[in-house]
Amino acid sequence: MEVSKPQCPFTGTEKRRPIDFAAASLLNLRLIGFIHMRRTRVDKVNAELVTLTYGTIVAQLCQDYDSNYQDVNKQLDKMGYNIGMRLVEDFLAKSGVGRCANFRETADMIAKVGFKIFLNVTPMVTNWTSDNTQFSLIFEDNPLADFVELPDDGRAQDELWFSNILCGVLRGSLEMVQMQIEAHFVSDVLRGDDTTEMRVSLVRYIEDEMPPEEE
Amino acid sequence: MVVYSFYIFDRHAECIYKRRWLPRPTSIVGKSRSNTVSDAAPTGLGQTVRSTDDDSKLVFGTVFSLRNMVRKLGGEDDNFVSFTTSQYKLHYYETPTNTKFVMLTDLKSPSMRIALQQIYINLFVEYVVKNPLSPTEHPGGVGVNNELFEESLEQFVVRAF
Repeated sequence: MEVSKPQCPFTGTEKRRPIDFAAASLLNLRLIGFIHMRRTRVDKVNAELVTLTYGTIVAQLCQDYDSNYQDVNKQLDKMGYNIGMRLVEDFLAKSGVGRCANFRETADMIAKVGFKIFLNVTPMVTNWTSDNTQFSLIFEDNPLADFVELPDDGRAQDELWFSNILCGVLRGSLEMVQMQIEAHFVSDVLRGDDTTEMRVSLVRYIEDEMPPEEE
Repeated sequence: MVVYSFYIFDRHAECIYKRRWLPRPTSIVGKSRSNTVSDAAPTGLGQTVRSTDDDSKLVFGTVFSLRNMVRKLGGEDDNFVSFTTSQYKLHYYETPTNTKFVMLTDLKSPSMRIALQQIYINLFVEYVVKNPLSPTEHPGGVGVNNELFEESLEQFVVRAF
């Protein structure tokens, strides 16, 4: 029996962005507007290239995992984690920001500076728990998901979190700045939900590691 | 000014890069006191007991304790910039990801904090972190000692001073 292959997510809709829309590629981590000793040029990447590249990755994963979407989610998260660990260094190097005083500040930094720089979107930070350890990011605009329509196999709509790589990116980058977090999507407009919402919870602050004991 | 040595420590407290340009300050002092022969020679002999490995551990232990002490006294955001002994000056820069950059220079050198920051921004991030084929962690220094990074560091140090 032939396994039903996920459709290519690009259905050629009319949705277009202005060509010079300055989106930074997740893979080609460049920043806009910071002047350096060595490099002052402003790097721009075509937003559609980013969208298409990411879409291709997801489509390929769906194929590789025979449309086992749980595994695809997991894999996307893992890829994001690896990206995040590098991305955060670029972020710190370019923005020059220091440590955040608390998790609320961290959330604002992620939404207003991080996402702004790399994806040129500013998700809304909301739904804080009273102990300030959990919040939601609501994405009004998600460049990764432009042109995308989930495969119509009756399962993708319930199982695939198309932009799951973002959860991994947050997990990886925050781990590098001593915060262990858990992130997952709770809704996605691609699935027919009203909003795209990611839930982020602080697990703990990571203590400084000590050098291994000498014998 | 003279740069003696340079170290990078990662968040796991491991020395992921070390580089020495000149013999350790002790032997430099030997030179200036003009018992060059007797003092310069032991660099390879008398001091073999303490290899560069041990040096990096000592350096790490020092900056780690000093940094913790500074934070206890001056608050979480405080950090030390350099310290000076009668023989050398140790410069320190730490990123929010807990990567530590340390440079040992002679006493005449001005503050190298900016220089260390530039090494982080323009060399480490560009050539090590962004190299997609290098691992994200660098146990034993894997991935840090790539040609681009080393050459640029060499140039940076030679040109800047």
